[in-house]
Amino acid sequence: MTTPAWLLEREAGLCPCGCIGKRRKGSFVEKTLSGSAGLLRQVMFSDDLAHRPGLLQRIDPRAKVIGFLALLVAVSFVHSPWMLLACYLATLVLAGISGLPVVFFIKRVWLFIPIFTGIVVLPAALSLVTPGEVVLTLWHWNGHAQGFTAQGLRAAALLILRVAGSVSLVVLLTLTTPWSRLLAGLRGLGVPKMFILVIGMAYRYLFHLLTSVMDMYEARKARTIGKQAHDRTARRFVAATAGALIGKSHHLAEEVHQAMTARGFRGDSKVLNSFRFGAVEVAWFAGVAVAAALALGGDSLLVR
Amino acid sequence: MSADPLLVCENLSFSYLDKFPALDDVSLEVRSGERLALLGANGCGKSTLLKVLDGLVFPGAGRYFAFGQEITEDALEDEQMNEAFRGRVGFVFQNSDAQVFSPNVAEEIAFGPLQLGLSREETAQRVTDVLAMLGISDLADRTPFQLSGGQKKKVAIASVLAMNPEVLLFDEPTAALDPRTQMWLIELMAQLAEAGKTIVHATHDLDALDRIADRCLVFGEDHRIAGVGTPSQILASRDLLLEVNLVHEHTPLPSF
Repeated sequence: MTTPAWLLEREAGLCPCGCIGKRRKGSFVEKTLSGSAGLLRQVMFSDDLAHRPGLLQRIDPRAKVIGFLALLVAVSFVHSPWMLLACYLATLVLAGISGLPVVFFIKRVWLFIPIFTGIVVLPAALSLVTPGEVVLTLWHWNGHAQGFTAQGLRAAALLILRVAGSVSLVVLLTLTTPWSRLLAGLRGLGVPKMFILVIGMAYRYLFHLLTSVMDMYEARKARTIGKQAHDRTARRFVAATAGALIGKSHHLAEEVHQAMTARGFRGDSKVLNSFRFGAVEVAWFAGVAVAAALALGGDSLLVR
Repeated sequence: MSADPLLVCENLSFSYLDKFPALDDVSLEVRSGERLALLGANGCGKSTLLKVLDGLVFPGAGRYFAFGQEITEDALEDEQMNEAFRGRVGFVFQNSDAQVFSPNVAEEIAFGPLQLGLSREETAQRVTDVLAMLGISDLADRTPFQLSGGQKKKVAIASVLAMNPEVLLFDEPTAALDPRTQMWLIELMAQLAEAGKTIVHATHDLDALDRIADRCLVFGEDHRIAGVGTPSQILASRDLLLEVNLVHEHTPLPSF
């Protein structure tokens, strides 16, 4: 083996002047990947929360899924904003006694609400859509004040609080139940086993493939010197990565299937989890029934 | 050690896509209770042979018998045959990520016994026992992406041991493991052999050969068997090891 002469030469080193103050922001690819890495960290943190000792963590996942489903239905029938607010505050209390960091819980819920609900309800609060008493004038039309109406804002508040309450219940369920047990819970409720198996494996390998993408990006970044193009080159890299990933996932899928076959898989998945229905689950169902009755009863009194 | 041949291969040949040969006229016998090492350079066909031995791929030519029965794609379609064969032969893949596919460790280990029809109680007991045996009880509820490479390998081994197979196939078991985990694995393989398990493993690792093998089968780069012998006989055949690209002319060989 002969070493080429250029490999024996040293490349020009770091300029003694050091930094020159010229910075470039990362490309969209870098932002997407760092976002994905953040997601991975968040999921790992969430899984840790689900294993903490707490009130909701002690309940059987199947009972928890049924209970939360009942609470979701109850919340969707509540019409009073005050009762919805009370329901939301109750989820905060539940989060607290289940050992969840309340600030993290609030952020998790409210992160999506302005994006998905706020945009929808904002026009509905205007006098153009919901006529009524204008409380905040934005412009005049033929001498009439136009803007946010009290009726519109009430309807918007009702919708936002209902979404906040519902999302909080779902987040409570997912944060206090490890993913594998949540799947087992769904399986216990009659969701087809094959569907659960596919979802479980998709979730498991999503992270594996995400790690592969990050490795590929870091390998590219480690060899990129100077100006990084953020347009065509970045898009070409994304396309090449996607292609490589399809090849990798195909190979992996084949190996996973062989690993399953090697351990006797013949198309019918069997699972370990057996479900318990003890005193904790009975108390949970009683608590759910009382909470739903209070929410609906209190609502009918407030709305009357 | 009994001399009963458990696995018998007769003139096996296998090609990927009918273009890329992986095995060429390979014949071998694996006897009950023996530890057989498959040695060879990358791409010589060791992993393919292990897959043939586990009934995952089927030879294009030649025949393969396990426990006195011919193993073919058709034979493994039979429920009883499949269950009996899968229960008696366990395979630890080189890529633990492919083998550890369940949402958590306990479910991963339970997968095999449940597929073989064991009750939930018995399976749960086996899961507890095998986790304790390998010293990984604290990992039971972990998801695979929370495990290190060494931990994944331990879980993959646990998932196979829980089925209590008679024959264990290991594909490059010590590859990409840190020295401590490598040593742990070598000791585990010795312990399993003492317990009467038959072990077939593909490896490049010549250093620990005497501890993990009674007999070695050396593959050439032409996908044929180039030599057979005890670890000391093989390690003494420097010319053979050079010819099959297992050592470099400057590589010092372990002495016995």
